[in-house]
Amino acid sequence: MSNGDNRREFLIKVGIGGGLAALAGQGIASLRSLVPNVSYDAPTTVKLGPPAEFPDGLKFLPDERLFVFRDGNTFHAISAVCTHLGCTVRAEALSQPETKTVDGKPLRLTHRFLCPCHGSKYSGDGGNISGPAPKPLAWCHLSLAPDDGQLVADLARPVERDFRLTVG
Amino acid sequence: MREDAVSATPKNDAPQTQAPGVHPRPFWSLRPQSDRQSGDAVTSNFLLHWFPAKSFKASLAWGYSFWLGTTSAALLLLLTLSGLPLLFLYIPSVERAYASVKDIEYVVAFGAWIRAVHRLSAHLMVAVVFLHLVRVFLTGAYKNGAGQGQKREWNWVIGVGMLLLTLFLSFTGYLLPWDQLAYWAITVGTNIASSVPMVGASVRELLLGGRTIDQATLIRFYVLHCIFLPAGLGVLFLYHMWRVRKDGGLAKADHVALLAEKRPTEPSESKTYTLLGVARGTAPTVRTVSLEAPDTTVNSIPDLTRRLAIVILGTIAVVSMLSVFVHAPLEEPANPLITPNPTKAPWYFLWLQEVVTDTTIHLGSFTINGAFLGGVLLPSFLVALALAWPWLDRSPGVSAGVWFAASRKRQNAVFIAVVVLILILTFVGTFMRGPYWHFYWPWQQWPELPARI
Repeated sequence: MSNGDNRREFLIKVGIGGGLAALAGQGIASLRSLVPNVSYDAPTTVKLGPPAEFPDGLKFLPDERLFVFRDGNTFHAISAVCTHLGCTVRAEALSQPETKTVDGKPLRLTHRFLCPCHGSKYSGDGGNISGPAPKPLAWCHLSLAPDDGQLVADLARPVERDFRLTVG
Repeated sequence: MREDAVSATPKNDAPQTQAPGVHPRPFWSLRPQSDRQSGDAVTSNFLLHWFPAKSFKASLAWGYSFWLGTTSAALLLLLTLSGLPLLFLYIPSVERAYASVKDIEYVVAFGAWIRAVHRLSAHLMVAVVFLHLVRVFLTGAYKNGAGQGQKREWNWVIGVGMLLLTLFLSFTGYLLPWDQLAYWAITVGTNIASSVPMVGASVRELLLGGRTIDQATLIRFYVLHCIFLPAGLGVLFLYHMWRVRKDGGLAKADHVALLAEKRPTEPSESKTYTLLGVARGTAPTVRTVSLEAPDTTVNSIPDLTRRLAIVILGTIAVVSMLSVFVHAPLEEPANPLITPNPTKAPWYFLWLQEVVTDTTIHLGSFTINGAFLGGVLLPSFLVALALAWPWLDRSPGVSAGVWFAASRKRQNAVFIAVVVLILILTFVGTFMRGPYWHFYWPWQQWPELPARI
């Protein structure tokens, strides 16, 4: 009698438990399927073109959202992605370029950067001056492609502000 | 007089032995000749079966609720109706979304009008649902009054949830045209999510289905907009209405009931009660709060249904006509390479955009991103406060269903202050922010700036 009751209760629990487990499995599988395993985003390492094609001063690359600066044979790159909410900042030429020491290295500042979304302002080295931007603009790693000598930017690799690529 | 009407039509109502709802006439009457017919119409009509047989006159008054809840529901209905043809015409693909919206706008017969109806209803729904919340707060309508087992506070919680769903529905719909307006509003909106410490970046990636706003994002927002969020809103709506019935109708009804109950026990101290008692000419022995009290109630059919029809059909008519004149905008196709200047979120989020602009805090070398403070913490705090408020509000039950009750003076004042602040920030964000989010008076000309870098 009590054995039968126990068995019955046990089977009820197994039944409910099995049903709930199946439901949870469905739920987990459905949710997990929404987390992509493969990213079709644009690659973060991109060839920008031969260094000789870059003008002295600033060149904006809209596809990469990147400012590439050239001063003679040295290059550096600053991201155009605002650190506040990800809008693309605009470069505004300074009327009087100045040279400032940034992280121990002299840097010729020709522009400043303004964000159209919330009015953040950055200095020519990417430092956040005013507005809601919490961080300076990121500096990107530059290198030369070993195969064809093009300039290569690694957008996912931030560097310090004393980074320069010298093309010999 | 109504009794006469019954005897005048014996064929229809004579058999007293029949169960309610089972009667010789195949159709219910929207113009009942008797109380019996009126009640039968409620019980035998599927659409009306969740209505009470009798309604309080005070609850039906235009000036009490302004029928904002009904108007929201009417707008939801209109959104569903206008959404159906769009569902056939819109193509949720990055390559074709913009072109299909352009087709709807310029090629499809009545397409521009249907889209304008859909957009206008969406904007109005955000506004009306918000006003409904304001009305419920200022009348203390989330408070339990006279009835047994009332749980009005839960209906307030459901309501806050429905407001959030309404906002999210509107926001997901915003991306679908895949124009500049859509693309950058969603960029700003989803970047707010990524400002949450630790999990932010993953949340954004899950929302977008990748690191950038692309096809995966479009289809996610599309499915949320067309299936999940409307379904969620529909379920909550049904529960919302069911709770209204379970809680004894509008809080106004409780107020009427409480007054009736208090009358014999409070002889002449309280002016309010006495005055009302005199005005209504009822004897102190009247304790009844029942729905049968003839001076306070009317038959739901036709009095409630008539007003429902006026509000719902009126809403549809007004939106239909307005949409002839107010066209839905369509900007240039989405271009990830060019950020418009200025970039603005939808108007109902502009108070938040205004806040995220102003709340980045620098404490020495330590910086708190305004996006997190103003975009995540502040709205979360406001929503949490709203959800908890019915339990924090300690005012007595008599203040339920009364506009600006004296016992709720202070909380009403604070609430109004918050609402006004939100409205001011929305106004500033909408009309006083120009290129680079600089401040301009509405009459000031924005400077000419190059559209491209």
